[in-house]
Amino acid sequence: MARILVQLKLRLLLGALRATNATRVSFIVSSTVALMVAIGTFVGLAALRHNGGAVDLTAVIYTVFALGWLILPLVTFGLDATLDPATLALYPLRTRPLVIGLLAASATGAWPLANLIGELGITVGLAHGALAVLIAVIAALLQVAFCLTLARLVTTALAGLMRSRRGRDLAALAIIPIFVLYEVFAQVLPRAIGHHELTAASFAEVDSWLRWLPPGLAAHAVQDASTGHAGTAVLRLLLVAASIVALGWLWARALSHALVTADSSTQTASVKGGALPLGRSGGLTGTVAARSLAYQRRDPISMIYWGLTVVIMVVVSLSALRGNHPETGVLLCAGFGGAFTGLLRGDLFGMAGPAFYLDALVLSDRRALRSWFAGQNAAVAVIAIPLVLVVPLVVAIISGHPVNGLLAMALGLAATGAGLGVGDFFSSTLPYPAEQRAGSPIPRQVNGFAMQAVGARFGGLIATAILVIPVIVAIGATGSVADAVRIPALIAGGAIYGALLACAGIALGAGLAQGKVPELFQLAARSKL
Amino acid sequence: MAEPASAGQASTGQAGTGQAVAQPAISVRGLRKSFGSKEAVAGIDLDIGKGSLAGLVGPNGAGKTTSLSMMTGLLRPDRGTVLINGVSVWTDPAAAKATIGVVPAEVRLFDRLSGEELLEYAGRLHGLPAGEARQRAAQLLDVLDLKDDAKRLVADYSTGMRKKAALGCALIHNPRVLFLDEPLEGVDPVSADVIRRLLKRFADSGSTVLFSSHVMELVEQVCDHVSIIAAGRIVATGTMDEVRAGKTLQQAFIDLVGARGTGGEGLSWLGSSSS
Repeated sequence: MARILVQLKLRLLLGALRATNATRVSFIVSSTVALMVAIGTFVGLAALRHNGGAVDLTAVIYTVFALGWLILPLVTFGLDATLDPATLALYPLRTRPLVIGLLAASATGAWPLANLIGELGITVGLAHGALAVLIAVIAALLQVAFCLTLARLVTTALAGLMRSRRGRDLAALAIIPIFVLYEVFAQVLPRAIGHHELTAASFAEVDSWLRWLPPGLAAHAVQDASTGHAGTAVLRLLLVAASIVALGWLWARALSHALVTADSSTQTASVKGGALPLGRSGGLTGTVAARSLAYQRRDPISMIYWGLTVVIMVVVSLSALRGNHPETGVLLCAGFGGAFTGLLRGDLFGMAGPAFYLDALVLSDRRALRSWFAGQNAAVAVIAIPLVLVVPLVVAIISGHPVNGLLAMALGLAATGAGLGVGDFFSSTLPYPAEQRAGSPIPRQVNGFAMQAVGARFGGLIATAILVIPVIVAIGATGSVADAVRIPALIAGGAIYGALLACAGIALGAGLAQGKVPELFQLAARSKL
Repeated sequence: MAEPASAGQASTGQAGTGQAVAQPAISVRGLRKSFGSKEAVAGIDLDIGKGSLAGLVGPNGAGKTTSLSMMTGLLRPDRGTVLINGVSVWTDPAAAKATIGVVPAEVRLFDRLSGEELLEYAGRLHGLPAGEARQRAAQLLDVLDLKDDAKRLVADYSTGMRKKAALGCALIHNPRVLFLDEPLEGVDPVSADVIRRLLKRFADSGSTVLFSSHVMELVEQVCDHVSIIAAGRIVATGTMDEVRAGKTLQQAFIDLVGARGTGGEGLSWLGSSSS
């Protein structure tokens, strides 16, 4: 069984090389990144030799890897056919050989190998002496086995949920903590290390908790062996092995259950309330706004976009939170918030998808198109405006300069209007069909539309940045004016300017889409969301 | 292969329920559409009378969906005219589209709305006041047997339920002409019966229905007019009796379009007797 499943996994991997150009490129990129992760992790762990906080840092790194194995398979559910027990339910297979076979299949591939190579870095970084090296090798192997078993247990236990719409929605939202982790590693940690705010000793406190989890136990076993406590080291490894056995037992139970349990994907809950909002406002604008508003809170793509926007706002305001550039950081927070609100929605037709036929039947003139754009903008603005007002204000209060938060409101309002207007413009000028692929909850352009997508995103970012320059200049130029006069004037000015930009975007978008609705529908119909 | 005599015999027939029709509900002239070098629709002429329940049948890839998309203003033709009750879909789209309802073949709807929200949305898009739209939505969901699922998200609906929800969206503004592309594809027999009865009732009230299908039995059962399309051309059109010419519709269709393929002679291993 193990041989067959390993062969299947290898055939699936090699099949990717023989399929389309896109899958070939994806396979090569994935393998290259895995190699880089393997080398980077090995070198990073090895470099901790003679570092006082080596064991604390190793425990943190091992735990981060385990977390990655816990979350990523949920996001990429559907990419690996062997992850879903439903694909095997039709075959007459017994649970025990199946568990061993699936574990072997899990261990096959570039990423498990990269994990093992990278984590073997502790043989250099943490191990001192032959016995410690031996313990380190066993610890790395156990850590990889723990990660694989954990990933299998979670995906199998949640497989029923993952096949349901609700489960897929929840899994899609896992992209937000992944994005946060990425930002922490790519932006926050390097800066903190650069400013000497983060040293190896900073991890000691975290490690006091992590040392009792299996990845931490594995790291500390090597430390114990290096300091002459071989007995403790073996005991720790036995605990890791016991946790793997326990996870394996739970996984076998979950697998037996999943193989004989009916698909529950159609058993779903009802939505609250019985009618669309904005019933009294009437008109096409209110109708489209009502639909769009419902989508803002129910569509996982919209929720991901809001989550990413907040993460970006917090990341760009870190300089203010650290007290280095209080005004710039808060302004960046408001500006990026407004800009990304529009940028992430710069393909209204493509994102409407084939369902756009309902709208297309009534969008016969410029007036109707204006209402359509205005309705979508209104729904987004209902969430975006409080966001660009409150988040920078909170950042400014935390950084000890609340006035900056009030100043940032002017920029936030202007950037939101600019972002929405620019989004409307690019929706009509560079529309493209979007699709969601297995492994990524964030939609991307359908093959053949890369130019439009890149043009719309970069064009949108540049246009929004240019359009908010007058507000930034006004904030800078009025520095000598009393705050009591300056702040209300700037906020009112920013709001009016933003509203004008949004209206201009609506007019431009509608004008450009007029007479092109059938063509826009044909593009939208190619979206797969 | 198609039989020109048979096609010619029926091709002059203007659809209707037998009565003389002054102005057809749907009038198509010289409709053409090419995708690159492939001519999907090669110039079709069609008249469907008011109150008719008409079927457009043809094999896969014959041009049914392309033709219906052009008739409903969702795909721009290379050439030709489409009139709905005398109003051109392509020169006065607002007036023409206000009187039509459409159910596309692949019903991908705004699936993050519940069934009742979706129908209300469709009604409000067509200018109905919210209260009226809600009332009609509730009535349609009841008739379409979706009342118990009205508050569930359309994302959780089965294919048949989606088809019925799409039909509700197409009917909520009480259109005078209804276009349906493969309305019973992937629909269970109970839901199919609900849809069939609703279409009959709609056509009996004097409204017009044109739907595409490759299920001959269905077209034969419910339609008073049928057009056969193959390779982008109408090869026969007229009343059901005219097109059938004494045969079953299935046989007339095969005679006109031509049978394809073999009976699987190469598969000598297939079947329990060969093991």
